Amino acid sequence: MVREQRLVAAGVIFLVVAGAALIALRVRNLQGSHLSRGESVWRLTYDIEFPLGINERTYIAIPDDMRSSRIFRETFSHQGIWMDVLMTRRRLAREAAIVPVVGRQRARFIAYFDIHVRAGGENGLVPSEPKPSAEEIAHYLQPQSGVQPSSPVVSAVISRMQSEQASKGGLLTAIFNYCADGIVQQGIDAPSDANGTLHRGVGTTLGRARAMTALCRAAKIPARLVVGFALGSSQNAGKHYWVEAYSNGRWAPYDPENGYAGELPARFLPIRRDGVEIVRNVGSAAYKGRYSIRRLPYPPVLGAAPDNGIWSVFDLTRLPLGMQEVITAILLLPIGALVTAILRNIVGIETFGVFTPALIALSFVQADWRTGAVVFFVVLGVGTAARMILNKLKLLMVARLGVILTLVILCMVAAVSILDYLGLTPSASAVLLPMVILTMMIERFNVTVEEDGYRRALTVFAGTLVVALCCLFVLRIDALGRLVLSFPEVQLLNLAALLLIGRYSGYRLTELWRFKDLT
Amino acid sequence: MRRNLETFWVRTTRRRLLARPWELRKHGVLGINRRNIEYLFSLNARRLYGLVDDKIITKSLCAEIGVPVPQTYAVINRFGAFKALAATIGQREEFVVKPARGSAGRGILIIVGRDGGNLRTANGETISLNDLKYHVSTSLSGLYSLGGRPDRVLVERRIVLHPAFENLAVGGTPDVRIIVFRGEPVMAMLRLPTKASRGRANLHQGAAAAGIDLDTGTTFGGVCCNRATTIHPDTGAAIDGVSIPYWSRMLEIAGSVSRAVKMGYLGVDIVLDDNHGPLLLEANARPGLSIQIANRCGLLPRLQSARAQW
Repeated sequence: MVREQRLVAAGVIFLVVAGAALIALRVRNLQGSHLSRGESVWRLTYDIEFPLGINERTYIAIPDDMRSSRIFRETFSHQGIWMDVLMTRRRLAREAAIVPVVGRQRARFIAYFDIHVRAGGENGLVPSEPKPSAEEIAHYLQPQSGVQPSSPVVSAVISRMQSEQASKGGLLTAIFNYCADGIVQQGIDAPSDANGTLHRGVGTTLGRARAMTALCRAAKIPARLVVGFALGSSQNAGKHYWVEAYSNGRWAPYDPENGYAGELPARFLPIRRDGVEIVRNVGSAAYKGRYSIRRLPYPPVLGAAPDNGIWSVFDLTRLPLGMQEVITAILLLPIGALVTAILRNIVGIETFGVFTPALIALSFVQADWRTGAVVFFVVLGVGTAARMILNKLKLLMVARLGVILTLVILCMVAAVSILDYLGLTPSASAVLLPMVILTMMIERFNVTVEEDGYRRALTVFAGTLVVALCCLFVLRIDALGRLVLSFPEVQLLNLAALLLIGRYSGYRLTELWRFKDLT
Repeated sequence: MRRNLETFWVRTTRRRLLARPWELRKHGVLGINRRNIEYLFSLNARRLYGLVDDKIITKSLCAEIGVPVPQTYAVINRFGAFKALAATIGQREEFVVKPARGSAGRGILIIVGRDGGNLRTANGETISLNDLKYHVSTSLSGLYSLGGRPDRVLVERRIVLHPAFENLAVGGTPDVRIIVFRGEPVMAMLRLPTKASRGRANLHQGAAAAGIDLDTGTTFGGVCCNRATTIHPDTGAAIDGVSIPYWSRMLEIAGSVSRAVKMGYLGVDIVLDDNHGPLLLEANARPGLSIQIANRCGLLPRLQSARAQW
């Protein structure tokens, strides 16, 4: 007794001290290494509305990690569509592929991207990509919408330059000089295609970039048009266009508007490199896009600098975003275990299965709770009804469980499909309901009904729901998710709390009710 | 009507909803957490649980130390034994089918008679031989066993109700639960099946119970559904003041079983058969705590004084 008490006390003290020390050390470390020169954090917001046609897909290009910038958080909220994130062919953009939901006329796509911009470094804005093949080189010399390398105006300009410049490098410089100095930038009425811009000597920012792209292609220098943003606080950020030209074995950025040649400062954020607009409709529907950019206060728990030595092992925020989500969910589970331990050992609530409530709660954390609740109760209801009918067939246990599992899954898939048909887009995470656990819960509910009656079965079910809801309320806290990801050391404190609960020998809250006749 | 409302109001306000923890401590009430940490973990070695969790093992242990148990007709330990099931039952009118590792009376089927080819259960239902086979097969696959492990099934002689408990049992057989601390009985109760417990003697399923004076073997106090009472909820008969026959023999059985399984904190369940006297039914390594309400008394002072003597 006493020996165990001492061991647990020693363990708790060790865990608390170690956890607190590690967190303190890393906070200090972060403060030391952060706010370093040239770094900044921005939030880019997309708010795009577009009409939906049947079988018309829309692709929206979204920012991707660059060598000089990293997206450390992204959130999508959308109405009336299904979406998926994928890379385009040749990996020139990361796109949200959007499929309309049946029966919807308009869709709205809202997304936030939190971007950490590090100090530039050479080639920071150009992705590392393999040497382009002959076919790709040919592709970058072709005409494109708004880019007409073989038009007479373009040919005239380029032949004048070619007569003055012999080398390709000199020619590229001459083209850039011409577009940067020889074309006057004007507003929305100015031409925005290469031909018109070169013809009138006046163009929009897009027109100038297209003019340079067309001139490069006419001069047989592979070039591509880039659309992106210049980071800076703005409620209605305009798109920025520049050109990447392939020379001396690498893609180099040229910005005719600002005059940057060969290298862009890190404050530029390329979105798409294939000369198409950010929103690409396969149909030709008009869309309304609004982009805004605002600076974020430097978050204290942002990934440490990559050259932070061994400390970066503790920094889970350096992992890819998709993996971060999964790891956050996994790291939240021990917190769910703590909540369960408190509710079972200190409050004294009975549940079906030890971690069933925590797992159910976890699957709801990322789901829209309304869809989740509908699917949850439909699955439970149908499963229980099916189990009662199955009872008459007198099947062996494992086979019976298999049948219920199949029915649960079918019913869930049907629920998702029906919700979708009704235009209530279910969130994909609702599908992540732990089906096996629900099956076992249905089975145990039924066995309890048979053995101990409805009253008791419903009591334990209510207990399970209460614990699941408590877990959900705790695990849903956004800051908690970020905390467990940024400071995995929190798990040491969690362990200490679990050890303490494990040695709690006082009365449970429900025992105060149970034994009240003894006083 | 108004008077009824008034008395209801007075009753609910006078009776507090929850006890205060210090009051429970003053009365020496043992809670679940404390039972687990201070008694079960340190006094009952995990490896010994198998001795009491499996009724077949418990029974063979009892045979070694000369403690009487209900007669075993057959043990079914595999699915193929179905054909033998009919042969085992033979022409018997009365028998009990129970999973060896079942807990809290789960999965126990009591057959009290025949109805042509069918069997009548103690609950008054009529089941066919096929229903019985299905019940045996689900028991074998572990539906009722602790942790869902594959199980064995026992077919036993049915206990004949002792006249002393005539008015006290509804739909089942009463039994005596004795808590034994290191070989010494510290508290006991007479457990009485009710309609709500469906013939089973488990308090959390709704059975009633009365405390037993360890010295005299006479019942007193009583509990049903965690609330103090002195009458049987179904028959209204007084459950206190009942004198338990063979009381000293029961205390002996409890002591020798607990010494044989080498567990320091054990609940021993004994039934009284009209023909064979006290028989050991099973032992429980995690005995419940409602016995304290039945005895109107906490376990802690008794456990502490037993510990001091030991």
